[in-house]
Amino acid sequence: MASDIKVMSAELARDPQSVVFLELGEALRRRGQLEAATGVVLGGLEHHPEVAEGHDLYARLLVDAGDFMRAQQVWSGVLERSPRHLGAHKGLGFLAFRENDLETALEHLELALAADPADQSVVRGLQTVRDAAAEAEVETAAETAAAVEELAGEDHIFAGLEGAEHGLLLVDDRGRVLGGRLLGAHGVDASDAVAAFLAGAAQEAERTAGMLGLGKWQWLVAEGPEGNVYVTPPTAETLLLIQRDRSVPSGRLAMLAERAGDLARQWLEGQQL
Amino acid sequence: MTETRVVEAWTLEPLERFVAESGARLTLLMTPAGQVLAQHGFTRAVDVMSAAALGAAIVASTGEIARMLDQTEFAALNHQGVQHGIFLGAFDTPRGGLLALVVYGPDSSAGLVQLFFEELAQGLVAAVPAQEEPKAVLAANFEEELNRSLASLFGR
Amino acid sequence: MSMAFQQALDNVTRVRGVRGAMLVAGEDGLIVAEALMEGVRGNAVAALAASLQKRFRQAMEAAAVGMPHFLHLQGEGGTLIIVPAPDGVLVVAVGTPDMNVGLVRLEMLRAAESIS
Repeated sequence: MASDIKVMSAELARDPQSVVFLELGEALRRRGQLEAATGVVLGGLEHHPEVAEGHDLYARLLVDAGDFMRAQQVWSGVLERSPRHLGAHKGLGFLAFRENDLETALEHLELALAADPADQSVVRGLQTVRDAAAEAEVETAAETAAAVEELAGEDHIFAGLEGAEHGLLLVDDRGRVLGGRLLGAHGVDASDAVAAFLAGAAQEAERTAGMLGLGKWQWLVAEGPEGNVYVTPPTAETLLLIQRDRSVPSGRLAMLAERAGDLARQWLEGQQL
Repeated sequence: MTETRVVEAWTLEPLERFVAESGARLTLLMTPAGQVLAQHGFTRAVDVMSAAALGAAIVASTGEIARMLDQTEFAALNHQGVQHGIFLGAFDTPRGGLLALVVYGPDSSAGLVQLFFEELAQGLVAAVPAQEEPKAVLAANFEEELNRSLASLFGR
Repeated sequence: MSMAFQQALDNVTRVRGVRGAMLVAGEDGLIVAEALMEGVRGNAVAALAASLQKRFRQAMEAAAVGMPHFLHLQGEGGTLIIVPAPDGVLVVAVGTPDMNVGLVRLEMLRAAESIS
């Protein structure tokens, strides 16, 4: 394989517009050379943006790198141009299964099967998802009850505070969860993902406030179609996020944040002793 | 991890700051003739040389169009692609004109690149050392200087 | 600047405490239209507001709250508000810390509707 890669690399160097970028990218990916593979594929897509297989390969590289959100965007783009694309349906099915969104996973895998009934990986994937769906109903109720019980325990940071079990998150400035829990779509724990994005967003808020002469940033409120979010730094190295449905106005979120911030600071002081 | 590499040391700090703030993926700092002073993000010498030559040529061509229209030269150009954008900016320093070629992805934007390009230009103007006596450029010197520059730009 | 854009921005800047309002291309962070007091750096507001909105959108989508239709950043010395309009345009206002946010919000939501 090393000699194949050498030959394909030479061809691509000779003719940067060559479609050998697909095969070369795939070969590099199989060898675990993700950065090189990504460079090759993106370079190829600059010349051939219409090649769906190139976007599919790029999405698979994004999954290998752990960038699931971007992979989802890329596969969704493939389906806009090629609604029956096998790789895109497989990929989106896998991502949905990973998020425990079994309904969406089944939808995509069934479309993948329609595109290629002989693909055994799709057949196996469908069976796995159907088995998981059969167990899911029983498990979800038990898990939620256990989570509520766990979070109501005395040693939890926000114990006793309204909505502590699923709408309060304390994060450090490197995007790691310190306490609390946030549930995303379909009741899945989204704490880690939100924490990761929140750290970057808070850095941007700090930069924005500084460069625009707004002074030190104090808090940020965001209103969305499915709920409202309030973010504030209780200390210089931490962030607090409160999420509620749209019925809770931002003034009330601010009051909750003040109480949650006090609890967070007490807990943090306790960790340093 | 991609690094910032420079031929001229005074360009390092302003360039590193620009890359960190703008989120640029690739950056080249060069003279209007295409001679590279610093780079960030490139991994192959041939890419640096090609990008520098093409960037300088684009700026020269659009400068010519501006002259034909009896306008002052364009200070900045922006090309927006599907995955990436390319920005070319020109500015004056006490050592003469310089160009910056910047490639950015979806995690940045034309606005951010242009915003921090202004700071980059100011930073470089403030950092540029006093002019040295110009040396005569011989063909042998030129090749030696080019090879030394490439070695600096790629850490060899 | 088109009459519709001008009118939309004027209604926002009339609110007490507003130091500037603008329409920004959300993907590029570039100014589409502006009405700014002296001392407000329009290109910085545009670029940073667009970047902030993009980053918070990612966090909000991960939290299953959806794409934000109102974003309010409060600083000790000032306020920034962002309201997305159709076609990727953002309506952005920057003002004093005691700006009348309720009224500004109302005018910005109206502005977002009017420019579509």
